[in-house]
Amino acid sequence: MIYVLYAIVFVICIYTGRHYFFTLNRLFGFQRHPYIDIDTADWPPVTVLVAAHNEEKVIANVLSALMTVKYPEDKMLVVPVNDRSTDRTREIIDQFVEEFPGRIRPFHRTAGKGGKAAALKDAMELVDTEVILIFDADYIPGAGLIKQLVAPFFDLEVGGVMGRVVPLNAGTNLLTRLLDLERSGGYQVDQQARMNLRLVPQHGGTVAGVRLSALREIGGWNENSLTEDTDLTYRLLLNGWKTAYQNRSECYEEVPENWPVRIKQIMRWAKGHNQAMVTYSLRLLLGKHRATLRERIDGTLLLGVYVMAPVTLVGWALALGVFYQGVAPLHGVIALLSLTAYAALGNLAAFFEIAAASRLDGTCKRICLLPFLILGFAVSIFSASRAAVSQVSDLVTGAEFHWDKTERFRKVL
Amino acid sequence: MNPYLAVAALVFVVGLMLMLPLVPALVELRCKSDALPLSVVQQNAGEIRHFANSFRTYLKGLAPIMQRCVDSGTTDTGTLPDGEEYVVLGRADELLVRAFAEQNAVRPVLIMAGVDLVVPPEATFSKDIFAGGQFESGEKSNYRAILGEQDVHLGEANRVLRWVHAVGEFTADVGCGLYGRISSDLLVRLHADCSFLRMNAPRIEIGCAASHAEAGPAGVSIPPNPGSRNSSRFLHDGDFEVHTGQVISSNLVIRGKLHIHSGARVCGSVKSAKDMVIEDGVSVEGSLISARKMRIGPHCVIHGPVIAERELAIAIGTRCGTLEYPTTVSAPQIEVEEGVVVFGTLWARERGHVVASQ
Repeated sequence: MIYVLYAIVFVICIYTGRHYFFTLNRLFGFQRHPYIDIDTADWPPVTVLVAAHNEEKVIANVLSALMTVKYPEDKMLVVPVNDRSTDRTREIIDQFVEEFPGRIRPFHRTAGKGGKAAALKDAMELVDTEVILIFDADYIPGAGLIKQLVAPFFDLEVGGVMGRVVPLNAGTNLLTRLLDLERSGGYQVDQQARMNLRLVPQHGGTVAGVRLSALREIGGWNENSLTEDTDLTYRLLLNGWKTAYQNRSECYEEVPENWPVRIKQIMRWAKGHNQAMVTYSLRLLLGKHRATLRERIDGTLLLGVYVMAPVTLVGWALALGVFYQGVAPLHGVIALLSLTAYAALGNLAAFFEIAAASRLDGTCKRICLLPFLILGFAVSIFSASRAAVSQVSDLVTGAEFHWDKTERFRKVL
Repeated sequence: MNPYLAVAALVFVVGLMLMLPLVPALVELRCKSDALPLSVVQQNAGEIRHFANSFRTYLKGLAPIMQRCVDSGTTDTGTLPDGEEYVVLGRADELLVRAFAEQNAVRPVLIMAGVDLVVPPEATFSKDIFAGGQFESGEKSNYRAILGEQDVHLGEANRVLRWVHAVGEFTADVGCGLYGRISSDLLVRLHADCSFLRMNAPRIEIGCAASHAEAGPAGVSIPPNPGSRNSSRFLHDGDFEVHTGQVISSNLVIRGKLHIHSGARVCGSVKSAKDMVIEDGVSVEGSLISARKMRIGPHCVIHGPVIAERELAIAIGTRCGTLEYPTTVSAPQIEVEEGVVVFGTLWARERGHVVASQ
């Protein structure tokens, strides 16, 4: 038990140090934005996939926005991937097809395996361009976004591209305001620091792009993955492709406005991430492939972020246990655990990261909400732990994962 | 003191202290003073002409006044709705402009000329200038921004702090400092010792010796874009050399230093994770990307975007892009020799400098 506790303390210390390292790099290090200046080029043909499952509330917004972006019209095809929708999604898409002839080619999927990866996999029959961009239906791309996301593909080492996600409904309630802060920290600091340090920026599966030849080389979309974006990041990495993060390629999204939806979202992400961890972590860390040492270490740590939730809970339980057992030599360890666990969850590392992100974003008063983030972290840690436990129990009972679509809150147009 | 009261007081004080950090949070949660989504520019696609276009729109209201002044050969002054003072010139002889230039040093006003504008040397204008005709500047003048509906010519050692857009040709003589966006709908030409940041034009000529770049290596085909180009890539760990005259028919991804010797040809794109050196007469049909420093030329032809993450030096006679397929050349620091031509964008994030050809 003592050694388990030592190990947990050690791992938590690593993650705490990682938060600090990323934040300090973002504040004081060399910032890499190598492709953002490409504003003039012979732009390649691009297919924009819009994943949509019962998206009548939001699908019109994303299609309208895509029809006004600044990209050569003859080189951009929008493919709304209508995945078995039972609402007005199909009708709305077809209206746009009529209004913009030749620019939208819908893919109406009426049967097949559930989940975004499975839908995208089926939609690939309509794709013949080397560059593919992917948006979820609740996103609203700006005029210059397509060019910005395509630009990194001029680098033949880049297999995937990820832009920055910005909550549009940030001011709705406490939850959306906390998610706004979390997103800020995650993208403005975490992702950009990984880009700066040539580590492993994560493909987010939306406001993102992938190179067709790279996708084919790694075997296409993995429909068995719960988070196709994480899965894609690691398969690209293992096959010698890089994922580029474009911090200035920002796109509005809608974040969950109530806690049950948020909890479902965390649980799906946690399960997908853990699935990728089991599949790829050993191969990434020790396998024979082209990833650099720093990519191996960072990639493995990134795979472990969701499993750290139950690990931290176990650490707390063990710490309390040994404390009440009165094992004197461990008092120092308990103190260290308290400090680092607090640091990881509380007002030091992660909070420092988010505060730095807010500063970089030039925001002012929203930073005052920082203490409330403890609430968001508490929900995350218990949801991710619950997901891990249910994943193990599903494994034992053989139960299949049920795909939960994230609920939308926008008013129907 | 009553022990119960003491305990209650202690609990109250501790509770208060614990709540104290939450007070600003509660205030912000209630007042929502900073609850708008982060500002994401939805319409501005990074267009270099953005300021010029906005300025033109801003001046639309003065068009009738300018026309009247041009017709009558008079000048007019006034104040725009936002309080900005302006001068409209219907004629722009040197004496008149000299008078306005001197006045500008004390009381800057926006200048709008409906005719050719010839600015005397050593003048300083801290407000934007619009020239409906040709714009000609003497030496050692300083400008904030210039919009020229025809050609714009800056004399020796001029300084521009924000932007210039010329509908016609833009020329900067020796030693100019261009600290913002420079664009033209036809041509940008810079002479030796000029410094620059961001420039865009169908054709950017560095120095008078631009004809050097027209020669280039023979037999270079029209550039295919990444969508149609052969997507196979040669991936190599460590340093790599392409030998003299060698033809490479795939894309190159080198995770070390790359040296392409003279006369070689790459029918694809090239990436190196470290420094890249490209010798005399090399042609590359795709993009050139180096994660560190890059040295190109002389007399190379590059069709795709050229990106160096640290420094870039381009030597005489090199041509990047074509009129039909413009491209982007970008690095934090760029040193470009006279005799180079770039079709499209030349963008130095930190410092760009023109060096005289040897």
